[in-house]
Amino acid sequence: MKKILVFGEINLEDNKIEQVTFELISKAKKLVFEANNLKKDEQYFVEVVFVASYLVDDEIKKAYKAGADKVVLIKDSAFDVFYSTVYADAFLEYFEKNPAEVILFPATIKGRAIAPRVTVQLDTGLVADCTEAEFIVKNDKLYFAPTRPTFGSELMATILSKKVPYCATIRSGVFKAEFVYCDNGEFFEYTPISYHEDRIKLVRSIDDKEKNVVDFSNAKVVLCGGYGLYANKSDEYYKKLKKIAKITDSHFAVTRKVVDFNLAEAKYQIGQTGSTTEAKLYVAFGVSGAIQHIQGMKNSKTIVGVNIDENAEIFKYCDYKIVADAKKVIDDLLAYFDIKQ
Amino acid sequence: MNVIVCIKQVPDVDDIKWTKENNLDRANMLSKINPYDEYALNFAIKLKAKFKEANITVISMGPKQAEEILNYALAKGADRAILLSDKAFAGSDTLATSKILAASIKKYCPDFSIILMGQMAVDGDTQQVPLSLAQLLNIPELTNVSEIYNADKNQAIASVKFDSKINIYEIKTPCILALKQECEENYIPRIDDYIRAQKILIEEYHLDDIGLNKNEVGVIGSPTMVYRAFRPEIVKDTQEIKQDYAKKILDFLLKVDKK
Repeated sequence: MKKILVFGEINLEDNKIEQVTFELISKAKKLVFEANNLKKDEQYFVEVVFVASYLVDDEIKKAYKAGADKVVLIKDSAFDVFYSTVYADAFLEYFEKNPAEVILFPATIKGRAIAPRVTVQLDTGLVADCTEAEFIVKNDKLYFAPTRPTFGSELMATILSKKVPYCATIRSGVFKAEFVYCDNGEFFEYTPISYHEDRIKLVRSIDDKEKNVVDFSNAKVVLCGGYGLYANKSDEYYKKLKKIAKITDSHFAVTRKVVDFNLAEAKYQIGQTGSTTEAKLYVAFGVSGAIQHIQGMKNSKTIVGVNIDENAEIFKYCDYKIVADAKKVIDDLLAYFDIKQ
Repeated sequence: MNVIVCIKQVPDVDDIKWTKENNLDRANMLSKINPYDEYALNFAIKLKAKFKEANITVISMGPKQAEEILNYALAKGADRAILLSDKAFAGSDTLATSKILAASIKKYCPDFSIILMGQMAVDGDTQQVPLSLAQLLNIPELTNVSEIYNADKNQAIASVKFDSKINIYEIKTPCILALKQECEENYIPRIDDYIRAQKILIEEYHLDDIGLNKNEVGVIGSPTMVYRAFRPEIVKDTQEIKQDYAKKILDFLLKVDKK
């Protein structure tokens, strides 16, 4: 039997399995069906491996339901604190005795830190941040073929590896977790030799709220102002847009260039170096549509763009386009509220 | 204290050009220092201002053209620059790149305390090199670093944004810190800085110098290979709104389900 291994991630605060793990398990299950269809003589199964101090039964059941055939717990109380070195070394100790053809890591902060430490030691390749994955047959050999965006999503590349195991990190929210399989399977607990990391010490942990951040992860409506709202050397139109956002219970946002020119605070920035939103409604006022900005908002459900330049890049991503001066549209919108108030 | 900053020359992603065959037209694209690497360089310069004995070495792997960003780094305040350039390095993936960097650092800058680098490069965006390099050099790392409070020969104190928390760590040297946030200080070099920098010779090393085998680098030494590349098609059925703009936007705002 051949194996697709999913590196499972656990939230250290509540000890629950992170959603991305279920997404990866369900995707791995589909890949197993695909592989078993392409090459009938090679049968694959899905194994999910957790590096943790404990796992509750209900969570393990969920892993089976998402498609895992086998759940492995590499268990030690040292894993209550996350260190990439400790996690990678414990995982490798298990992996060397129980190898797999494919390893999928979540492209989370932890997954991204563990995966290269594992693959460097296995001297194999690692494909980062994949958004698609399939099997292909080449010269009668089965290859794992993940696809990833590059150049800020301007280009997609399908990447093969010359060496096994084939390894990839996969973004969260890309694949769907489907709890449609039976809720039991094989379970194995592995006790590693103990590992320490005495070179790093966490001295303090502060709530980020003190740093005054805007949480866009649950924003339903986002009104974003681009550099096109800049006029008369003043931030007047950003303030006006902020006012509309307040009245309509929406989130005010801006692009990188607006922050660079000190027209709004960095906490409002949407894009590659700012926040990401998947709003139900995203309205872009005077936003040109630089690819780094698109990265941060393209998954919004309905996208409306207002720009005076009918060829603005932003319109390619819009469901509705309005070719007009965004400043004028903002004034007109404000006029509606002034009448009502 | 010796500080290494790894920098990469990247095409300006605001200026992407395509060939007729849908390949990146690299020859006609502007090149610049990867912005995250510049954050790292700025932090190094800030450390140097604080600790006069700090010495900054910038290292870049790339074609001869990468001298541009090394000169820029020297003008900004780096003390030493190393260019790793060889035809055999072309096409290196993250593993091969990390092996080249690790071998070069071991040979030409073994007594470093801290390696600073950008969290990611805007062209590849894999975020894999800092971790791969840390593993190859067998040293600890912190990634997604937003601030470096202190650093000396023995340890560094830095903060990392982690979910909704800011964690402050003490990390023993030698170590790698990968920067994700801009440094509040960003010195733009002037003409006289460039003139001063010209006096520093950029050291150039090739495959033979760093002691790696050609099977470990470049296309041959890279376990991954691009099987196909394509530009994603945007399949948006865009409707144009031709009148009553504000009214239409208001309708959208009122209709959206906020639950």
